[in-house]
Amino acid sequence: MQYRLAEKKNKYFLPSLLINIFIWFFLIMMAMFILMPTIFMFTASFMTANDILKMPYRWIPKDFYWKNYWQGIKGNDGSFIYVRNILNSLIVAVVVSISTVLFSALAGFGLAKYYFKGRNLVFMIIMGTMMIPFEAIMIPLYLVATRLGIQDSYLGLILPFLVNAFGIFLMRQFFITFPDEILDAARIDGASELMIFRTIILPNSVPAIATLAILTFKAQWDNLLWPLLIVQSEEMKTIPLYIVKFMAEKHTDEGAMMAVAAIASIPILLVFFKLSKYFLSGAALYSSRKG
Amino acid sequence: MSKPKLIYSIERQKARWGWIFVAPSLIFFSLFSFYPILTAFYTSLFKKRLLSLKPPDFIALGNYTYLLKSPDFWNSMRATIVFTLGTFIPILVFSLIFAIFISSRKRFQNFLQLAYYSPAVLSSVVAAVIWLLIFDPRGLGNQWLNFILHTPGVDHKWLANSVMVQLSTMLVYFWKYVGYFTIIFIVGLASIPQSIYEAAKIDGGNDWKNFWYITLPLLKPTTILVSIISMLQCLRTFSTQYLFNQGGAPLAPINVITLNIYHTAIRDHQIGRASAMSIILFIIMMLFTWIQFKTSRADEISY
Repeated sequence: MQYRLAEKKNKYFLPSLLINIFIWFFLIMMAMFILMPTIFMFTASFMTANDILKMPYRWIPKDFYWKNYWQGIKGNDGSFIYVRNILNSLIVAVVVSISTVLFSALAGFGLAKYYFKGRNLVFMIIMGTMMIPFEAIMIPLYLVATRLGIQDSYLGLILPFLVNAFGIFLMRQFFITFPDEILDAARIDGASELMIFRTIILPNSVPAIATLAILTFKAQWDNLLWPLLIVQSEEMKTIPLYIVKFMAEKHTDEGAMMAVAAIASIPILLVFFKLSKYFLSGAALYSSRKG
Repeated sequence: MSKPKLIYSIERQKARWGWIFVAPSLIFFSLFSFYPILTAFYTSLFKKRLLSLKPPDFIALGNYTYLLKSPDFWNSMRATIVFTLGTFIPILVFSLIFAIFISSRKRFQNFLQLAYYSPAVLSSVVAAVIWLLIFDPRGLGNQWLNFILHTPGVDHKWLANSVMVQLSTMLVYFWKYVGYFTIIFIVGLASIPQSIYEAAKIDGGNDWKNFWYITLPLLKPTTILVSIISMLQCLRTFSTQYLFNQGGAPLAPINVITLNIYHTAIRDHQIGRASAMSIILFIIMMLFTWIQFKTSRADEISY
């Protein structure tokens, strides 16, 4: 399951020198296109609004204009609400990640290693929920949330995302290859099923857990639609909502806007560069999916 | 005869634990997936308004017939389909090309994969904000395009023109997700055994033939997978269009179905109508998932 970078061996074709040069040229041009907007965000976050929209754009800021960051954090009204909003995003993403990992691991373990009547049906039902797009159920969920009075609260932000079917699928695929003998040996030694889960299964599934936790964290960090529906107060807003608001405000200048975007991106980019293999294995999982 | 009974009871106990492990998730899904989708269907049969105290009127399929006659709804269908086709086809083609090229490199494979994947890490709100600034009349978008086309000083109206704004949203989405699908293709390529190429070499195949007769056919399951995932993702697009509209772009050309659901429910308070739209979106996506299921079953490949 763990992602390995493709073999370095040149396995598909041995291009001639000319073609080789062309491929390098193409790949580097595309890499520049793909990296440019991110670099643009960071360089522009250190420039005054005038410099950003000056033609031609100068990729190296003249002098580092830190005031953008100060302005971004302070907000146009000077309320420093962005700090609170970042904290909200962190709380939601961390809680959702923990609960998704925990419940997905439990269900995945149950589906992979226990034989019970109706197991296949349960598996089908859980996979079936993957077909229900969030966009199709957001209105009923919103009505339920307002009826329960949990709109505009952490509970409301977190509740609809506590488990997801993809996580269960991922964990099940991981546990299926786990040797039964070890579990049976633990049972003979008198371990309870919960103890087996806690002391054998969890410590041995770090790669799968890390992949799932990171994917979930990223999805929540990114989530716009649900908070947009249920959050009303400034205090409960998450980062995407703050960005939307900041952009719509009259006195926002482009430099501060980019600083706000950069602040939102730095944590996730750091995690990405530190733990890139888990990000990539998240993408790779799809192609190992069979039937 | 006590022994078989003992095994039987151990099995029973294990079965019980299986249920206990699965139960929390099952309960969760019934409450937060199945119940809402059933309520969405139920609500779609009523004329229901948000915040209204009077009981909703039952109008059977009234919301659906209304939608089928509404030009606004058909505009949303058009916007969604144009966006989906215009985004997923370039993503499919380019991610395959990128994957083949990157896999053929002896050096910097790692770096290239990370670089191409990196936009997928940024949040879609951040992506939209960056591109809004690039598409500013005085921004980088015009500078690049004018440089390529040798047309100094022309404003290409990235956000104002109704065709351009659609292209702009597609470009943002393409930029953000092409690397993600490149990785999926690279993994698919890596799973093709080297021995097949060696056999082809003995049989005198050249690179071009290898690509057409070996790589591409063996990559068929990955290709189907990528096209279905990317298509489903495009059908659900929301953030880019929402942000572009907030940033001053006209709504009509980019009023995709999810955006329309959101506006119908929250701005117009038409819960019944929004639910009907949700159900239509759900059915479309079910259809695609079903196609994926069918085709992936038929295309199991063994080497």
